[in-house]
Amino acid sequence: MEHIRLPKVENVRLLDRVSPRRSRVGTLYLTATHTIFVENKTGVRNETWVLHSLVCSVEKQAAAASGCSLLIHCKNFQVLHFVVPREQECHDVHLSLQRLSQPVLCLAERHTELYCFSYKPNVDEKERCQEWDFLDLKADYSRMGLPNSLWKLSPVNQHYKVSDSYPADLFVPASATPPVIVGSSKFRSRGRFPTLSYYSKENHAAICRSSQPLSGFSARCLEDEQMLEAILRSNPCSDFMYVVDTRPKLNAIANRAAGKGYENEDNYSNIKFQFIGIENIHVMRNSQQKMLGACELRSPSMSDFLEGLESSGWLKHIKAVLDAGIFIAKAVAEEGVSVLVHCSDGWDRTAQVCSVACVLLDPYYRTLRGLMVLIEKDWVSFGHKFSHRCNHLVGDPKEVSPIIDQFLECVWQLMEQFPCAFEFNARFLITIHSHIYSCQYGNFIDLKLLRERTHSLWSYLWKNQADYINPLYRPDHSQTQGLLRPSTAPYCFKFWRGLYNRFDQGMHPRQSVEDYLRAIREETQQLEEQLKIAHLEQEQEWSVTQKAVTFDKSPTAWALGNDLGLANTPQDYTGGFITSSPCQPKAPDGRRILLTQDSNQTSESNLSSGSDQESGIADVSCRSPLSTDSTRDPDSDEAAYSAA
Amino acid sequence: CVCTTPPLPQLSSFEYPWGFTLASFSLICLSPGEIVVNEVNFVRKCISAESSQDDLWGKLICTNFKVSFIPQDAPSKQKSQLSHLLLGEHDIPLTCLEQVVTANDTKGKKKVLGSNQKLKFNPTELILYCKDLRIIRFCFDEAGPESAKKVCLAIAHYSHPADLQLLFGFEYQGRRYHASKEIISVYLFPEEHVNGSAPRGGLRTPIFDRPSDWDREIKRTGASEWRVCSINERYVISLSLPEYIVVPVSLADQDLKQYSIFFADQRIPLWCWNHPNGSALVRMASISDPLQQRKIDQKVFTAITKSHPQRSEVIRYDLDKSLPNIQDIQSAFVKVRQICVIDPFEESEERWLSSIENSRWLEYVRAFLKHSADIVYYLDGKNASVILQEEEDRDLNCVVSSLVQLMLDPHYRSLIGFQSLVQKEWVMAGHRFLDRCNHLKKNEKEESPLFLMFLDCVWQMMNQYPAAFEFTEAYLTVLSDSMWIPLFSTFLFNSPQQRAQHLMDFAKNKAIPQGEEQAVYFPPVWDWSQQFSTKDQTLFNNPMYVGKGAACVQNGEVKTFRRTKKTYSSTLRGTPASLRNGLKIGEDSLTRRGSLVSELKSDFSPVKDESPSERFFRDWFSRAADQQGLLIPLLLPSHVALWKLYFLRWVPEACIPKGGPITAYHKLSQLVDEIEILQSQLRQYKGPSGSTPFPNPSRPLSDQRRMYFKAASPTPPDFLTSSFPFTPMGNLCRRSFQGTPISKFLNGAKIWLSTETLANDSL
Repeated sequence: MEHIRLPKVENVRLLDRVSPRRSRVGTLYLTATHTIFVENKTGVRNETWVLHSLVCSVEKQAAAASGCSLLIHCKNFQVLHFVVPREQECHDVHLSLQRLSQPVLCLAERHTELYCFSYKPNVDEKERCQEWDFLDLKADYSRMGLPNSLWKLSPVNQHYKVSDSYPADLFVPASATPPVIVGSSKFRSRGRFPTLSYYSKENHAAICRSSQPLSGFSARCLEDEQMLEAILRSNPCSDFMYVVDTRPKLNAIANRAAGKGYENEDNYSNIKFQFIGIENIHVMRNSQQKMLGACELRSPSMSDFLEGLESSGWLKHIKAVLDAGIFIAKAVAEEGVSVLVHCSDGWDRTAQVCSVACVLLDPYYRTLRGLMVLIEKDWVSFGHKFSHRCNHLVGDPKEVSPIIDQFLECVWQLMEQFPCAFEFNARFLITIHSHIYSCQYGNFIDLKLLRERTHSLWSYLWKNQADYINPLYRPDHSQTQGLLRPSTAPYCFKFWRGLYNRFDQGMHPRQSVEDYLRAIREETQQLEEQLKIAHLEQEQEWSVTQKAVTFDKSPTAWALGNDLGLANTPQDYTGGFITSSPCQPKAPDGRRILLTQDSNQTSESNLSSGSDQESGIADVSCRSPLSTDSTRDPDSDEAAYSAA
Repeated sequence: CVCTTPPLPQLSSFEYPWGFTLASFSLICLSPGEIVVNEVNFVRKCISAESSQDDLWGKLICTNFKVSFIPQDAPSKQKSQLSHLLLGEHDIPLTCLEQVVTANDTKGKKKVLGSNQKLKFNPTELILYCKDLRIIRFCFDEAGPESAKKVCLAIAHYSHPADLQLLFGFEYQGRRYHASKEIISVYLFPEEHVNGSAPRGGLRTPIFDRPSDWDREIKRTGASEWRVCSINERYVISLSLPEYIVVPVSLADQDLKQYSIFFADQRIPLWCWNHPNGSALVRMASISDPLQQRKIDQKVFTAITKSHPQRSEVIRYDLDKSLPNIQDIQSAFVKVRQICVIDPFEESEERWLSSIENSRWLEYVRAFLKHSADIVYYLDGKNASVILQEEEDRDLNCVVSSLVQLMLDPHYRSLIGFQSLVQKEWVMAGHRFLDRCNHLKKNEKEESPLFLMFLDCVWQMMNQYPAAFEFTEAYLTVLSDSMWIPLFSTFLFNSPQQRAQHLMDFAKNKAIPQGEEQAVYFPPVWDWSQQFSTKDQTLFNNPMYVGKGAACVQNGEVKTFRRTKKTYSSTLRGTPASLRNGLKIGEDSLTRRGSLVSELKSDFSPVKDESPSERFFRDWFSRAADQQGLLIPLLLPSHVALWKLYFLRWVPEACIPKGGPITAYHKLSQLVDEIEILQSQLRQYKGPSGSTPFPNPSRPLSDQRRMYFKAASPTPPDFLTSSFPFTPMGNLCRRSFQGTPISKFLNGAKIWLSTETLANDSL
């Protein structure tokens, strides 16, 4: 709390981003976890909550006659523009927010400012522990058919002795002995030796991953060569394997000077070496910045937007990742050839490419649970540096990069091409994205004690799965099975408005196929029920009056469709243009009052131990175009009826 | 046409009175009146650009209607595309040809062929660039060089008709008319006989060639202060206006005659539509004489004001000043076509978005939508009548007036309503389809895809409001393709007068008795059974549409269920601030609004109060969208998308197997079909008889079912691609594509070079 210089500022204006002529006047509160803006408007309760951990940058602009502007950019692409009447207040808020949004880790005191440690939903301890058992990676490997005669579970990395960024449980070729593994690990950056990521039990082809070899200009390592040989031998159907370096060739060559580099085909037997030019984290970071610049333009012309998007190169990078995934997926599924994938350290591009290939290859990873498992496997367990890449803690800004964003976007692009092939919807991806950055759950934070003290996102998502189901999905369809063959022609890549402009309500389509599908589905179910009833009636020759009673009960699905249209735009569009008042939809009444009466109540205890502090994230559900429950108006069903 | 896929043994038992021809060896299907001009055998049709292994061998035929290719081997049974009743899978109507190019690879020669030309080399290849964006390629490596040359010249010659009457439709419809008088026609045109009892050949789309069609429209929109005027009967006033027009009741015929001389082409103002609040949408040509302009304007404006129940102001919207002209639109279209289909892929690959941007097509699409939305604001938000003004009133006005009506009036979002809108605002209003389509290939300067521009705008609306339209994007695409089939009276003429004149001559020539309706002997495109089977026409039906048709079962009765009470979302708020002089205000606001390229203000700069139109749009967007009310498109650049089905349906690289929006359409259709089955089963229980036995599940329901994909077969067909109901197979074979690095790239997975090759490769 010591960082809050000013807990409350009155007469602050929040400018509307899409049409800045509009602004709302209200009170700004700073709490330990959130910035909250409460609009002064009688009758309407309108709150905007912004989680500190989602704040990416706070920028104070020069004071003007109307006040001093404070611009807050968030990691979930929300942008808030406040105008604070007095410069001193603005200054205080600015400094407070800067400090609050950059938590410092202080392990000695076992105290950390990360939000996940203060987030306490109303869940008892036993249940909290169970949350962490929800996903079991071993179960996923046994789903693949492992261990078997070709691949074994190796204890070599128990207690993280060989590589501290690798999981403890690893699958390696049955013929790989511990000395070979350890020897190989010494020849690889950060000890990240080649190990299994995905295994196709149909044809025994496997995707393996590692970091770059320390080959320099001429160095060799017998164990590393044996390791690759062992991987090749674990695929009895193939006499060669691919080694895919996901970096541009120049980058790989540059690494040779530093004693790193790439495999020399002459030294390894039966490998085919490929470069795949995915750019590094710095290029990706800059590209996203440019892309966001283009989509934040206020009244752009067609050229501004298209040229901005093009020059950012963002979609080209997405295409590069997807192309790489396709290459690997085809090698595995069509050629039956195993692939070893690496980049430099093997935790950014490698994670992207392996997981995209898995989505293309295996329909399981296109299910709700499957995608969670995939992220847990290829990203969390294999040590993607979430804390650095997502800037969870004060750190080197050059380490920040939207690597996981790109993976999620690749999945989204695939969903756009195959609308019926995924069990989940775009909202699922957006929710995951949001929580990767929010620090609300312990999943993406690499700290000890996480399992003891924090909550797991996966079980939260699973519990709310109804929100994330794609109604078009049908698991039995041929198009949802087997390898996906997307087109990567440039015209097949779209700008993901739903993510990058998700807080600009005015920008979203007001109807979606999904909404209507839900409505149609319900109508089908109702008709089936009515038919059943009619069937019964016929059999039993019920009286006419009874029939009437039965049918009055059934609501019409089309009326629901009508409401869905409403749900697309928040009821309070004018007021809630960019807001994210988290408690709107799901929170029980009464809880929200705590802020309004007295600013003093916005203390840590109130906010962090509140019964249902989903806060900054609950907005995901209410912002998303499909929050049907929250805005459904029971009266309109009747209205629709009487109209009929 | 009498057959679709050869051979058709069941038809051979009939004898056709007009001498139906089966060309001796090949199994070509000829339509009535169609004759083979030239043919060549052992021709290879290229199927894919990368390899020749799928190429088809067969016979290339030129008739007076189409270019036809008859493969030697029977076609595969799998139906992967829409089958046309008059055109086979490999047929191209001559009117659809944009350019006929012959080439001789060994000699390195190439020539674009026109009418009556000579060819000094023996072609080894024929490449047909089509107006529907296909590129079809034939190779003559095994064919007789002389016959190949003759066929090429014939195709070039017949695709450049010297006269409108030489378009095949005239021959065809004449034969067809007389055939339909014979008994045999029952077998040939069964569709017509099902609906045939209706006076207009079963056609329900109003043509607006008679006062009653206009009267109905006046009543439907409640335009009580407007009347049908017949001063242009027999086109005595204007050659480009329809015979019957709607004018303010306060204007006498005599006044109109007097004013008409001052308007370009004597086009007096034309009523289009009335808002429920009384505001009218009017279109007119400009007045060339500046002295007269003030006077006439004054009188016209006064009359329109008088026809408004609140005597609201009239706003003039000058489209020439605010929108791209027809050449701009044509050159944008040429560029998009270049990027999408003609250029080899590699060139546009790196800079796809900026190439699209450079074409300016999307910018223009957005401009048309934007200005239409502005007019919607005047009509709906300001309660003011609007006059759309364009120099000739025959191009931009057609696009804008129809878009405005589409946004405001849900009637036009139904299939019949949409067709009547095209009939009213395009065909009858005198859009020069003949010139803009350049059917006679006479004057390229007049060519401009305005109608396609309109269809693209409709698609944008549809893309944003997927449940608001009764029809689908497949319908829009098929409609655009129908422009290039010269059998329908809709897209062949420059004006209703030209149409009437030609059809009268035609009737005389073909001995069609006077008094026969033109729509009967030369039907418009709207009778879709001329082109597609009933089953295929169900692809036009949008499963999500919740207009009047959606039935709902309630209390045991089947009711026609409307999702909303209102026909229009009346968004009248307050009265107009002031009744300023309408003459000025329109233009003032226009110059400001004119350019779409609004400067980028520094982000977040606080601005003073909102303009009323901004408030109007914001208010509208803050409410739930009402399918049966006003619809306003979102117009930020990220909302304006390229119409992929139209522009990229032939492009193999853009084709996603088992993917694309069609997969969602498939799923939705099945669900709706299921609903229909269930409803009809329910009806059996709840029917008036009451004592119906349990329904037989195998009972045929087909005649009432609206969906192409049936619930009974839940697995999507394997051939479903993002191009469906079209296919890139054999439809986009660019020349000199083979052997380029890009074809290697497209061929397979090995796009990344291994270490050794990289060292030597210049890439």
